[in-house]
Amino acid sequence: MLAARAFEPDFLRRLDGLMMQARRIRAPRAGRRVLGRSQGAGIELEDFREYAPGDDLRFLDWNALARLDDLKIRTFRPERQIEVTIMVDASASMGLPADDDKLGFALTLAAGLAYIGMSENDPVRIAVFSGHGPAARFAATPFFRRRESYAEFRPFFGAVRGGGETRLSEAAGLLLGQRRAPGVAMIVSDFLVGPGDYETAFNDLLAAGFEAKAVHVMGDRESAVDYPPGNYRVRDCETGVVRDVSFGPREMEECRRRIAAHAEALADFCKRRGVMYARAFGASKLDEVVVNEFPRLGVMA
Amino acid sequence: MGLLNPANLLYALSVAALIAIYLRARSRPTIEVSSLIIFEEAPAPVANSRVLRLDLPFWLEALALGALSLALAGFYFRVYGAAGGHRTHALVFDLGAAMNARGDDGTAFDAARAAARRVIANAPEGDSFAIVTYALAAGAAGAPTAGRAELNRVLDGLKPTDVAANPAALRAALVDARAADTIDLFANRPAPPVIVEDAGLTAPPRFHRVGANAANLAIVSLDPGVPRSSLGRALIRNFSYHPQTCELEITAGGRTVFHSGFIIEPRAELVVPFGPVHDGGLVEAQILTRDGLAADNVRYALAPSIAQMRALVLSPDPGVRDDLARILLAINPNFLVTAADPNLTNAFDRRQRFALAMLHDCGDAGVAADARLYIFPEPLLIGTKQPPILPVTGSVAAAEMRRRAGVGELATPVLLGPARIVKLPGWMEATSEGGGAGERDEFALTAAGRARDGAVGMIAFDVRNHLLLDPDRLDALLAAIGTIRRLIAPPDVMIEPTGAIVTAPVFARAALLAPDGGRRMLTPDRWGRVRFQPLLAGRYTLAGGGQTISIYANYYDAGESDLSGAAPPAAVSSSPPRAAPAPAAGARHYHARTIGTLLAAAALMLFLLESIVLTRRAARWSARHV
Repeated sequence: MLAARAFEPDFLRRLDGLMMQARRIRAPRAGRRVLGRSQGAGIELEDFREYAPGDDLRFLDWNALARLDDLKIRTFRPERQIEVTIMVDASASMGLPADDDKLGFALTLAAGLAYIGMSENDPVRIAVFSGHGPAARFAATPFFRRRESYAEFRPFFGAVRGGGETRLSEAAGLLLGQRRAPGVAMIVSDFLVGPGDYETAFNDLLAAGFEAKAVHVMGDRESAVDYPPGNYRVRDCETGVVRDVSFGPREMEECRRRIAAHAEALADFCKRRGVMYARAFGASKLDEVVVNEFPRLGVMA
Repeated sequence: MGLLNPANLLYALSVAALIAIYLRARSRPTIEVSSLIIFEEAPAPVANSRVLRLDLPFWLEALALGALSLALAGFYFRVYGAAGGHRTHALVFDLGAAMNARGDDGTAFDAARAAARRVIANAPEGDSFAIVTYALAAGAAGAPTAGRAELNRVLDGLKPTDVAANPAALRAALVDARAADTIDLFANRPAPPVIVEDAGLTAPPRFHRVGANAANLAIVSLDPGVPRSSLGRALIRNFSYHPQTCELEITAGGRTVFHSGFIIEPRAELVVPFGPVHDGGLVEAQILTRDGLAADNVRYALAPSIAQMRALVLSPDPGVRDDLARILLAINPNFLVTAADPNLTNAFDRRQRFALAMLHDCGDAGVAADARLYIFPEPLLIGTKQPPILPVTGSVAAAEMRRRAGVGELATPVLLGPARIVKLPGWMEATSEGGGAGERDEFALTAAGRARDGAVGMIAFDVRNHLLLDPDRLDALLAAIGTIRRLIAPPDVMIEPTGAIVTAPVFARAALLAPDGGRRMLTPDRWGRVRFQPLLAGRYTLAGGGQTISIYANYYDAGESDLSGAAPPAAVSSSPPRAAPAPAAGARHYHARTIGTLLAAAALMLFLLESIVLTRRAARWSARHV
């Protein structure tokens, strides 16, 4: 399975120097203070720097001024507590086409993002969701803060099985139903749902104060619409709806165009709503995704 | 353009089957996709494309099957061009006795050879020739070659034999030659149409009739008579439509016993009595008059010995003893026959050695004889210590003779009495065969052979009730006489017809000297016998193992010796009206050129191409239905 790659040293080494930027810095809960690397308000002195006009005079080091007659500003390490929940779509559509292993690819990306998230000692968990109604499933790992705990994700990955329908809005509802402090919610999915579903999901998350991020996953063959020419009866693996189609060069080009349009619509929505959006089309482009697409999610070196 | 085997075009139905399979396979496969969002607006473009949309593998398979069907149907082009080039020719030669018929310009075979050389000379350079011969059997004289020197060498080495040309051999020769583009048949008479048809020739062979009408006399048979007792007889036949003079000389033991000339009527036979000869031994009759065929002008026979020989006839049945004694005396009146009942203790002098012992339904204990003839052999008795020479393995209540040596299949099987089935030792040969009445299994009814301690014969059927003297069962008597003659014949002289398989017990490697001076070594089989087939009339000498055996081969065949057919002169080769003339060098004409091999090769290439296409698709799509 492709997800096994998430635990390979080479892959992790490539992520070592990356960190996740969070727009909202939350105060720690009582007794649970965690230090981050970002500059900000805090109580632990980090460094001194030259005063620049406009700096808050509250941070001016008066002792240094009196002793050295030089204006120095004290900087502190910020205190932050951001819960990062990475939600991976484990519906049936993530299992097709079989040779694309979209689910494995999505789990690999989720693991990579979790590893990056741990760089700030933020509590990170990975959840999978699928189904709707009574069959809705939302399974998540415990929160892990330190990279030493990264290997704890492995048993969870091994237990993930795809199946059921995709209902992003229901998954968001399940997350919000846990009534945890707002944090970062990333959705890793193929987003092969109607616009209403993913719009509802992101709107709910944003309304609850979550910082939402979207990772749009598709398989190599799926994104290239690589099917043999001929007449087929295609069946939706989630709904069971059957449709007769004919494949030829022209039809395949039309399908590729529809995929691009669908992705553009999603990206446009995310842009409008302030949702970070990254596109991961093809497991063969994993390195390319890490380099080019992860920065769109606030990942920086 | 045409088809050699149009019926095979039925194989083209495989293309229809392919279409049916293809259309069935073209029914829409169902594939599961992640979502219909991608395919929502891409329905089947047009309904008829579901049926008629054909892809590359289909066309490749259809073309391959079509090519194979055409290859099987014998698709050919009519090509106009120079005859020859790389064409193949078959020269079929009759090597039967009639090809030795001598005319003014040599033998018929000389004319055949000259005609063949003309055919070879007229053929373009590069044409290859296969030389096939037939007489008793068909055979190829060397490998097909285009070398003129090699062909001349092979032609020079061919010699006619003194046997009648076998129709089955002619058929086999034509079958051997049918792969050639042209077939030239050199014979003194045309091949029967039924044989040409049986050989499956696409075109009749070009027939070159060789040999001239010739007057021919033949010695049909020679009966030496009984020395000093009865006259011998020679039967002379005139095959000509004119009266012929004949000078006949008969010698016995090196002495001339008859020499006279006479005139034989057209197409008539003349019985010439002579003798009686003075001594037993070889009798040779020879026509001294020059005629068409020399091989049938000499005939040999063996006169019975005049030496008094003792024979013993043992049988519990007095009638059988009487019959056997009569037959034995008829064959050679110089026999002194002792007939006795084996159940009587002092029936004959057991110290006496006999030239021949005929043992009917009894054992041979205490009998000293040079030759033994077991009639209705006694089964192995309980308590007998020494196994019998001829073990009896079964019996039938009534046997019937179906086949006899020298005659072949009998027109009507001869119903015999009870018979015992004997397991013959390897050194014995069956001279007549048959089986139980109404049964299919066959066994030997009469047999003869020679072991180291003497000759042994066997008659499996019972001869009680005067069976051998019954005129309705003459074949039984003739088989018995033949067996007795083999037993009493001198071991160093044999008279055989040409073409027969001669078996001689020499118990060592032996040198065979043929009448034409040819010499070859023969290796004995596990029973010490050497075998050969005399193809020339005359005397063969077999020397080996400290003994010398003279084998005299007689030739006569009524069909082959009849040279009076209305044939054109030998110098002119002719063809039947349907036959095409020999192609001249550089002559151009239409001929069929089959492309079966090309079509088969094309089909293979198409299948290979299809495999490549399918493999690439499978690798690309990784889908089971590809």
